[in-house]
Amino acid sequence: MEMVIMAAALIIGLGALGAGIGFGLLGGKLLESTARQPEMANQLQTKTFIMAGLLDAVPMIGVGIAMYLIFVVAG
Amino acid sequence: MARSGHRINRVPLLRWLVIECTAIVVMALLWAMHSRLAGYSALVGGLIFLVPNTWFAYQVYKVEGARNMSRMIGNLFRAESVKLALTAVFFAAVFNLMEPIYVPALLFTFAVMVVMGAALRWFIRPRPQR
Repeated sequence: MEMVIMAAALIIGLGALGAGIGFGLLGGKLLESTARQPEMANQLQTKTFIMAGLLDAVPMIGVGIAMYLIFVVAG
Repeated sequence: MARSGHRINRVPLLRWLVIECTAIVVMALLWAMHSRLAGYSALVGGLIFLVPNTWFAYQVYKVEGARNMSRMIGNLFRAESVKLALTAVFFAAVFNLMEPIYVPALLFTFAVMVVMGAALRWFIRPRPQR
């Protein structure tokens, strides 16, 4: 049971770490490119939004599987 | 920009919502051919995706334009955190409070909706107002 909880913690933790790094890079690049070309801000915002959707797909599924492990398998 | 009521982009929030709801209902009906419980679980799995994702889209497009970019990025980070937290809370609530539940239908519908949501935002993008 401890191993299942550890596995769930690893899934959530590593997923959050990946999403955090990805979002940090995404936000930083968005600020940088908006400062260079403010007239492109709308297009960049749309592209960031689309990339954010792709970026958090894996952590979201990871959260679902981790909750299953915690509350159904271990619980 | 949002304060004055003027929008730069036309965000198809309602269109996304309608398409996603339709996809969830179709998935639930397909799973319902397996069993009624599976259909119900698929519906719940789709709703777990839909609510945090709609919140995320609304928050990200609350402010627009180059002047408000730092505020928009703050909103993006906050909305992402809230989205992940809401997803975890909904899953925990479903696994704790709903008995019985057909887990494969729940997780499969959720995963399909996550991938479909990303693809949908690619194909139906917010367009600048004319």
